[in-house]
Amino acid sequence: MLDKLRAFFIDKQFVSKRDFLKSLSIFKGLSNRELGYLLQMFHSRTYHEGETLFLEGDIGRALFIVESGRIELTKNGPGGTAQKLADLGPGSFFGEMALLEHLPRSANAVARERSVLLLLYRSKLEDILHHHPRVGVAIMTHLARLLSARLRKASENMVTFGAEPRAQAPA
Amino acid sequence: MEGPRRKTPQFSWPAFFTAVAVLYFLYKIHVVLIPFVLSFALAYLMNPVIHHFEAHGFRREHVVLGLYCVIAAGIAAAANFMLPAMMNELDLLQGRAGIYYAAIQQTFSTLQDEAVRRLPFGQHIVERMSLKMYNPLMEQLPKLPSYILGLFPLLSLIFLVPFIAFFVLMDSENFLQDAVQICPSRHVEQVLHIFSEIDTSLGNYVRGILIVAAAIGVASYIGLMALGVDYALAVATLSGVSSFIPYLGAVMGAVVGGGVAFFQFHTFWAPLKVVILFFGIRLADEALLQPLISRHSMHLHPLLFLLALMVGGKIFGFVGLLFAVPAACILKALIGVAWDYYSTQIQTAPRMTLDGTEIPYV
Repeated sequence: MLDKLRAFFIDKQFVSKRDFLKSLSIFKGLSNRELGYLLQMFHSRTYHEGETLFLEGDIGRALFIVESGRIELTKNGPGGTAQKLADLGPGSFFGEMALLEHLPRSANAVARERSVLLLLYRSKLEDILHHHPRVGVAIMTHLARLLSARLRKASENMVTFGAEPRAQAPA
Repeated sequence: MEGPRRKTPQFSWPAFFTAVAVLYFLYKIHVVLIPFVLSFALAYLMNPVIHHFEAHGFRREHVVLGLYCVIAAGIAAAANFMLPAMMNELDLLQGRAGIYYAAIQQTFSTLQDEAVRRLPFGQHIVERMSLKMYNPLMEQLPKLPSYILGLFPLLSLIFLVPFIAFFVLMDSENFLQDAVQICPSRHVEQVLHIFSEIDTSLGNYVRGILIVAAAIGVASYIGLMALGVDYALAVATLSGVSSFIPYLGAVMGAVVGGGVAFFQFHTFWAPLKVVILFFGIRLADEALLQPLISRHSMHLHPLLFLLALMVGGKIFGFVGLLFAVPAACILKALIGVAWDYYSTQIQTAPRMTLDGTEIPYV
């Protein structure tokens, strides 16, 4: 009886999207209620195969989370040839630097099959930081950790490929 | 494989003329749009409550229905309390109308006598004043019933606006989702960015002004009751409703409340107390409420604020006054986004520089 009542009042689609967010590392440790508030800040959009999400040089405004489908990230090389950077599936997120600064995108993003993406905007993140600071701090902490991990990897790559890091601190 | 290339955005004259034509069309039919604009504003006010329950996983349609039931019950309860008070005030007004009319005439007559006695060319001034003010006022008095009847179509809005707002609330998420889906994929980011900016600043402003109106209404009622002024509920309601037009609430309360107090107590001290009360309410609003409300909403310079009110009032009348400031907020957000877009496109935006970026990551 209680289950039937619950099924009548509760939005299954909303709960399934909330569970999807819960499974992502970026939102680890957030309660159902906090994830519910967060989910309302996202916009969802379906991209068809071959549709361009953004191009290198476009001003970044949002973080993208792949809910379903496949997104290819490429970078224009010399002579206009596209070099594949990554192939992202469900649960992956990209474009997170747009949440921190308004700078041009450094790669192209194209849907390789019909894909559903969740978009989070910088102004919405600021809204979250004001009204639900715990959620905002959790996201920012994860972004900082991610940046740190990428920088560490970049440093390791430089050593691996023999590049000399410019270790000159300002005097 | 050839990589996708960016095209520099070009100014489009056809798009510009289409936008101008659409705006002109909207201006021509703005009277028809009023119930819809008010409904959207109402839906916008109610949306945070619905979002709160949606965040717990409840279905939107159930929350909207529940909210309407709660509001209907609230209105019924308020009417139960307010209707007898309103009827009492109307009875009082009916009973004392003759006394007030006589008092107004007496005051005018005293002022005229004083002017004639004390001022040079007093008789001339009184005649001029009568010609300019008193006579037109008396000419308009017989037309008063037709003016009141003219307000009745506005009453239809009381039923029409919640009705439209209901459907807006039920389907607003679908409208937005469809708009996002229709938008060309590469421009979704920009369009939703504009929408987010407007939503964030305007939402806080609209909800803030409702809090101010309610606070001024309640504070006025308590204050006027404490001062023993008649028609406290009517004056407080007028003051609260007028607060939707910035600064007008306290002014209306002071003028109308002061007038009522003067004719009730026949002293200058009574209206002065009412004026001090509304001045205090205005100060409290400025000191306590405005900092909380404007913290997250868009800041408009007082001159822009005034200009928006004047332009809105001139073009759209009373409704223009109501929506002038929100419209100015939208315009400011659009200009901000356009400038942001332009400056980043032509690479003039200053790059974020931080100390210590040259130190390697260790």
